[in-house]
Amino acid sequence: MASTSVSKGQILSLYRSFLRTARQFRDYNIREYTKRRTVDGFRQNRGLTDPSSISAAFSEAKSQLDVAKRQAVVYSLYAPDIRSVMETDLKVIVERT
Amino acid sequence: MASITRASVSMPSLSTSVNQSQRRISGMNSVSFPVSGRSMIPSLRLQRGLQVCCAAKQETVDKVVAIVKKQLALPADAAVNGESKFAALGADSLDTVEIVMGLEEEFDITVEEESAQSITTVQEAADMIEKLVEK
Repeated sequence: MASTSVSKGQILSLYRSFLRTARQFRDYNIREYTKRRTVDGFRQNRGLTDPSSISAAFSEAKSQLDVAKRQAVVYSLYAPDIRSVMETDLKVIVERT
Repeated sequence: MASITRASVSMPSLSTSVNQSQRRISGMNSVSFPVSGRSMIPSLRLQRGLQVCCAAKQETVDKVVAIVKKQLALPADAAVNGESKFAALGADSLDTVEIVMGLEEEFDITVEEESAQSITTVQEAADMIEKLVEK
């Protein structure tokens, strides 16, 4: 980390990267969890003002992003064929019956 | 049944503008199709050429407004139009990122970093979507 202070743009880019990585999961559960966890994690640290704690949280988030990216690769090796019931479009099913 | 579900879910990427005319005819507020959806698929392709292109169609703006309302948990009758700024509606920068992601998924587009960070109003989002969908 060359810069001591993390800019708002970097944080938003990291947030976007997390959400993009979450989209790569085919499994409904892990995808929703990733989205939920990033939203919760970033909102929890919203009020930080101290630069050192901000950069500590930022570097922790970056390592977590690496974890998520690795997991996206691993999960894609064993992608499920069947979609979760949460993803089925119930309106179509109801109309067809 | 699963394959049909898949087809209906991926329909929006075919032509969102045609989707809108379907919506208007049937009066339904969802993406799903009526029972005879299968027979309508060829006719959708024909209708595609009849759409007139202008700056940010009203249907696109309406879709953006719906996504914004869902993300910010606004009531359905909240006054949101093209000129509304996200910040004025109570969205912070994280909410804006989520809104842009929601728009990406809805319209099946990819927004680059710089463009995404410059969006502040509903109209800007709709214009950018139009530009990306045209490509």
